[in-house]
Amino acid sequence: MTSESTQREVAGLSIELLDEELRDCYQELSNVAVGRAANLLAQLLKNYVIMPIPVVNLLERAELSMALSSIQGAQSVSAVCQGFTGSKISGEALLIFNDASFTDMAELTHFNGEITEQIELELLMDIANIMIGACLKGLADQIDVRFSQGQPYLLGQHINIQELLKNNEAQWDRLLAIELPYELEGRNVNCDLLLLFTENSLPVMHSKVSYLLE
Amino acid sequence: MAVPLLIVDDSSFARKQVLRALPKAWEVDVSQASNGEEALELIAGGKGEIVFLDLTLPVMDGFEVLEAIRARDLPAVVIVISGDIQPEAEARVRKLGAVAFIKKPLDPAELSQVLSDFGIYSA
Repeated sequence: MTSESTQREVAGLSIELLDEELRDCYQELSNVAVGRAANLLAQLLKNYVIMPIPVVNLLERAELSMALSSIQGAQSVSAVCQGFTGSKISGEALLIFNDASFTDMAELTHFNGEITEQIELELLMDIANIMIGACLKGLADQIDVRFSQGQPYLLGQHINIQELLKNNEAQWDRLLAIELPYELEGRNVNCDLLLLFTENSLPVMHSKVSYLLE
Repeated sequence: MAVPLLIVDDSSFARKQVLRALPKAWEVDVSQASNGEEALELIAGGKGEIVFLDLTLPVMDGFEVLEAIRARDLPAVVIVISGDIQPEAEARVRKLGAVAFIKKPLDPAELSQVLSDFGIYSA
């Protein structure tokens, strides 16, 4: 299935390119899925969500932190991870918040007290549940599969992206990464929803997607 | 005479889905654009009497295209086909002059209904 993929150098990374038609299709399927998640987030926070253009890449795990377009290495972030599996596809979803986002997030949820680490954790978990669930379901519906999701767990608070990804136990070598950088309009809130699919998932996913391309 | 129809979406897969959903007997002269700037040029050149417009686009997004159509008073009937399904997105594009808002993934029956509702094409 991947015989048409080629290599190219991107910012010093050896990102293996997907066949353009497949990449385009993953991007569009993701676009529809993030639309559903964005809609729920907008309802929760009563604030318009600027829709991200999904970034789809096949890459080595070690290159992930460098490939993230919206989160810089030095920024302090907090993140939740949730595994998913089903129909011979498996992977994990990461929701990564720039820590600077929490002040506005608390305000939008009408939280008035001191923003403790515990409060940040609750916000993070609530939003991760909503967005990861909606996004995965949106994607699964379109390719006619069902995912079951594991328990979400905290990857880390107030750490940089390299440390964060180090904490992530899954050690697949290559993966399909879909990066969805959300922003809230008029607010200082930045978060990245990352969907990572294992290399073993790719044959099934590619065939499901190829079916749509026929 | 064939109607000049413009399909605007950055995804060729999405444009193909729209093409497939068009009523078979509808006589159209189809053009395609993958960003807002291309779309505006084509509309200005008379290629988009009817426009199917995505919102999340590079270079110039769908909202900006609608603003420019209005500012330049270009003759285009715009139907938005969007993955951004926030009610706020629909309210904004309607305010900017879009006649209809269709959510992705595109349902061919809904597209036919919208075309018929606006007297654009009825089977």
